[in-house]
Amino acid sequence: MNDTSAQPTRRIPITGYFARIFTGFVSLLKGLKITFHYLSHPSTVVTQQYPENRATLKMAERLRAQLTMIHDDNGYHKCTACHICEQACPNASIHVAERAKPALSKTELDTFIWRLDSCTFCNLCVMVCPFQVLQMKSTFESSVYDQRLLIYNLSRYAGPTSTVLAKQADDEARKNAVEPRSVYDGPTALNGFFLAGIPKELLVTLDRKGEV
Amino acid sequence: MVSSEMASSVLPNSLSHTRAGIHISSLDERILKGQTDSKERADRETTQEYFVNMGPQHPSTHGVLRLVLRMDGETVRDVIPVLGYVHRGMEKKAEYVGYRQQVHFTDRLDYLSAVMGNWAMSSAIEKAMKTELNDRIETIRTIVAELTRIQSHQLWWGVLGMDLGAFTPFLYGFRDREKITAIFEETMGGRLTMNYIQPGGLMFDIHPDFVANVKKFISYFKPLIEEYEELFGGNVIVQERLKNVGILDAKSAISLGVTGPILRASGVAHDLRKLEPYGVYAKTKFNVPVGTVGDCWDRYQVRMQEMRESISIIEQLIDNVPEGKHMVMKFGAKIRVPEGVYYSQMETARGIFGIFIASDGSEKPYRMHFRTPNFNNLWAITQMAAGGRVGDLVAILSSIDIVVPDIDR
Repeated sequence: MNDTSAQPTRRIPITGYFARIFTGFVSLLKGLKITFHYLSHPSTVVTQQYPENRATLKMAERLRAQLTMIHDDNGYHKCTACHICEQACPNASIHVAERAKPALSKTELDTFIWRLDSCTFCNLCVMVCPFQVLQMKSTFESSVYDQRLLIYNLSRYAGPTSTVLAKQADDEARKNAVEPRSVYDGPTALNGFFLAGIPKELLVTLDRKGEV
Repeated sequence: MVSSEMASSVLPNSLSHTRAGIHISSLDERILKGQTDSKERADRETTQEYFVNMGPQHPSTHGVLRLVLRMDGETVRDVIPVLGYVHRGMEKKAEYVGYRQQVHFTDRLDYLSAVMGNWAMSSAIEKAMKTELNDRIETIRTIVAELTRIQSHQLWWGVLGMDLGAFTPFLYGFRDREKITAIFEETMGGRLTMNYIQPGGLMFDIHPDFVANVKKFISYFKPLIEEYEELFGGNVIVQERLKNVGILDAKSAISLGVTGPILRASGVAHDLRKLEPYGVYAKTKFNVPVGTVGDCWDRYQVRMQEMRESISIIEQLIDNVPEGKHMVMKFGAKIRVPEGVYYSQMETARGIFGIFIASDGSEKPYRMHFRTPNFNNLWAITQMAAGGRVGDLVAILSSIDIVVPDIDR
């Protein structure tokens, strides 16, 4: 009543039994030599002490971690709300909302909604944009405590493009043509205010208006 | 006869389908009819068979793969893979997504050969569009594909070590893979899912430091392959656990549709890079490593040799990257592919990755099919593992080097 009869025929031969023990031991020591080499040479350490090295950490320029909309020095962008990025997005992570009553041009961008939670970082929106409005940045620390905070509005104002605004007479006219938008504005579950479980004060601190 | 009743009751009916020419329930039927061969009957009279689930959550199944094992003591009698735990309906999904967006799907099949997947999809679309590519695009594609092959084999080497109970190779493999990942990050902007090779060219031109960094990596990694051999391959315990384990002969390897290093380890010198050269492989000189026995040790040797060959291919190409544009097609949101049927295949790190497109002339494919290498390679386990031990099964599974999202897709 034993199951040894079903064993495959891999039996250790008696001949060379001690020689096998010896060669096994030698091969083990050879491997350990490499391990001890790395142990005794601190220069071979490759571990990075993140987040302690945040100040010196340099990510690759092209690393795709955060979609941003390029705003010029005056804070104006070039987006004409043409929806090409929205069509290129493979899983509808982008939603371009236009203004109901455009002030100066035919269509004006209201909010540019980007869902980080469903984004695949394929970079197609950046590539297809005819006006080079979008950019993938390498700021990768985007974790938040609530999933809903991953739905961003990328535009800082609702209004026409920088080209249209440049034709305006003065700053006063420009100011009247645009309406400020914050990072959590837009027709999503997040209206910038009042979320179950998230106090309003926290939202203000999370508002990365200056960054995104 | 307790065992036979158990066998029929435990095995769900859904598993009783034909699989690679073998009827799964045939063993159970034979048990029920008492038509077992003499050795099996002798075993059964004294021992009781039982079923064990390996996975779906198991560290050595490399993902959510479930293997139903018919066991006799510690001996594996039969292995029945159960799939579908990461099925995402990729092929159906592809019918609703445009051609431009298809490329990033291939990142998510065999993620360790992501660039080759991108290339296969892009070349299928290019074939359909009859796009002529310049030498720069082809050369860069070949270089990054070979880098991908190396990083995939590095990870496999580390994971093989961990599956056999050695933790050190895992860290060393990842340490060296990180160097390639950094190169990829610099040029492609992604570390795992790059979406780099696009229909008509490349998403970006190579980074100005690309050539220097690749050369630096080659000079760094060349001596390390010998270190790998000394640390892991030279170890007698490793050799004992891999030699004559999981033997797959050439005939059954071909009949199972096995491709890649597993097929070559079984003694079949089948490599698409040689047989149907794509990219600039025709201009390069390299050998196709072939095994003799077809066991886990041969598969180990073939992959180690493939890393050396990949390095030699990169060395031949990296000095003379031709000048030219990195994109010859307009990068629009939509691509309209002419009506017809197109197929493109690549030799990835795991075998032949094929893409079949049936186009009706619109911007979305009428039908899309992925011929993934891991799906066929997995079924070889039914032949390899039968008669071995559970410990051998872990080594065999690791030597197949499966990526589960590629199987289920």
